[in-house]
Amino acid sequence: MSIIDLQNITHVYQSGGEKTVAVNDVSLTLAEGTSNALIGPSGCGKTTLLNIISGLLTPTEGKVLIDGKDVTELPPQGRDIAQVFQFPVVYDSMDVYGNLAFPLRNRGAPEEEIDERVQVTAELLGLEDRLHVNPANFGPEWSQLVSLGRGIIRHDTTALLFDEPMTDVDPGRKLTLRRRISQAQKRLEVTSLYVTHDQHEALTFAEKAAVMKDGEIVQYGSPEELYERPVSTFVGNFIGSPGMNFIDCEFAGEDLKIGKFTIPINESMRDNLDSSWTGLELGVRPNLVNVYDEPEGGGEIPAKVTLTEHLGSYQIITLEMEDIGTVVKAELPLEEKTDVGSEKFIGLTPENIMLFHNGEAIENGKK
Amino acid sequence: MKNRAWWFLLPALAVMSLSAFIPLMTVINYAQYSVFPGSAPQFIGMENFADVLNDGVFLNSLRRQVLFSIEILLIEIPLGLGLALALPKKGKWVGWSLVLLGVPLLIPWNVVGIIWRVFTRSDLGAVPAIFNWIGYGAYNASLNSGDAWWTVVAMDVWHWTPLVVLLCYAGLQAIPEEFYRAAKIDGASAWSTFRYVTLPKLRHSLILAVLLRFMDSFKIYAEPFQLTGGGPGNSTTFLSIYTSRKAIGGFNMGFGAAVSIIYFFLVILISWLLYTIMMNVGGGSSQ
Repeated sequence: MSIIDLQNITHVYQSGGEKTVAVNDVSLTLAEGTSNALIGPSGCGKTTLLNIISGLLTPTEGKVLIDGKDVTELPPQGRDIAQVFQFPVVYDSMDVYGNLAFPLRNRGAPEEEIDERVQVTAELLGLEDRLHVNPANFGPEWSQLVSLGRGIIRHDTTALLFDEPMTDVDPGRKLTLRRRISQAQKRLEVTSLYVTHDQHEALTFAEKAAVMKDGEIVQYGSPEELYERPVSTFVGNFIGSPGMNFIDCEFAGEDLKIGKFTIPINESMRDNLDSSWTGLELGVRPNLVNVYDEPEGGGEIPAKVTLTEHLGSYQIITLEMEDIGTVVKAELPLEEKTDVGSEKFIGLTPENIMLFHNGEAIENGKK
Repeated sequence: MKNRAWWFLLPALAVMSLSAFIPLMTVINYAQYSVFPGSAPQFIGMENFADVLNDGVFLNSLRRQVLFSIEILLIEIPLGLGLALALPKKGKWVGWSLVLLGVPLLIPWNVVGIIWRVFTRSDLGAVPAIFNWIGYGAYNASLNSGDAWWTVVAMDVWHWTPLVVLLCYAGLQAIPEEFYRAAKIDGASAWSTFRYVTLPKLRHSLILAVLLRFMDSFKIYAEPFQLTGGGPGNSTTFLSIYTSRKAIGGFNMGFGAAVSIIYFFLVILISWLLYTIMMNVGGGSSQ
């Protein structure tokens, strides 16, 4: 249970004469006992940042503080951090008991204490029936639990780091593993950081998530914040499945113009806009796109259905607005009739839309 | 023949029978006869085997052979593993190190023997000169049986340790980096990382290295033959030298065949023992 504080972390990989900036001036504070996620596309620097926190890497610049203590130069052994890797690591030279006991034995703990901790940890993770089995033939979901067990067996684990732990796990078993990880985290109230490129995983696990892009954290907030108020078109598109729709538009002094169509906006939003701007985009979540069969008389934009996808309890339809040349995705109930080729009308209401200028969100009341 | 698959097996079976089956059968057949060139073979049953097992020179050669293989394994396996661990993991020196290490492997057995015979000559060799320099002037591989023995051991170590290095190095490269990261996170010391991560992961490479080095060292021929012809006395007369001396030198083909069969089963038996022991060592339990 600790506060993890990253201050202006920069990491540059150097190979030959080539320099790659993997992490660029990142500052982030993880509050005590919280579960956090770090999401971003592959190659955005997530794993590098994680390895800097655990001490496997020393940052080129910046500081890592744990409970206010500068640990930047300390090796992993000196930080008491637990890390679960993408590739499940079990030591097949020992049984599950030996695996769990390994970190304690390395610290020279007395055997009675080790035995007690092993029993407690095994029970927490549901491994008590497998203590004397060699994990060599375990599937990845059990291996990851053993790996997690080695991390949380110590009393003094300061933080729990996960590096895409679900990658090798069968889809059907992911849910169970995620639940066990989540349970363990909540019971132990240990500060944790979960790295993934899968937003579902991240947002179900974490109270707060940081979205990373090109080595920088672009937004850190609760899942709701990320979903409802993305700070940029990147976050809007990355969070949500499918992501936010974006439509080029212009500000015409009073209202928005999308081609020849007029979209009304709130007065508070109007104050933040400038009619000289170019690169203005309207963003709308697929579940907030209103789709009508007939025009409602509020400036709806005609569009043709080009694709329908049934996703269990709802459907995603793709609509092409031929007059504008843009495609929009909408989430609708299954009952809605959405034959491919049929004509629909799209309604965009002020409370459902966000505006972005050069990719940055324009928030009500601030530019 | 209903099944056409047999036709496809035929070439392989033909090659196998020519290269292995027929010679083996011939040897088994010879072993039960008294065979000397120029006279008719005479069936004598198991007499050859009894003669072999009662021959003091055979038993001494066998004892020497086992001792030699034990020494070779005890030196080459740890040395090879140590060198493999010391080699760079990546970078421009990897290629150079591997090529340099591989050079002895490219030299034929006979040539190794000749090189070392020159090396150890008391008049112009480097080895006696060096020993002389460090205060052991009495070194003489062709007169002193201890010197001859350790010279053969040194030849084999020089010639074949690189093979162990290459096998271990390949095994080391195949261990995922995550294991070492996890061991660091778990606070493991360098020794426990080696003991619980590296060594178990190298098990299959090491089994291969031990088996290859055992089988090969158990059959050593060219090096002692070139160095001293098995001498001085019988001090470097190993099983293969003994066998060829009896069968070819002494024209006693039946006796030689019996030695070959005993030899063959010894190699198989000891290889199986080594394999079984190594597969079962160090697995599992922890409490």
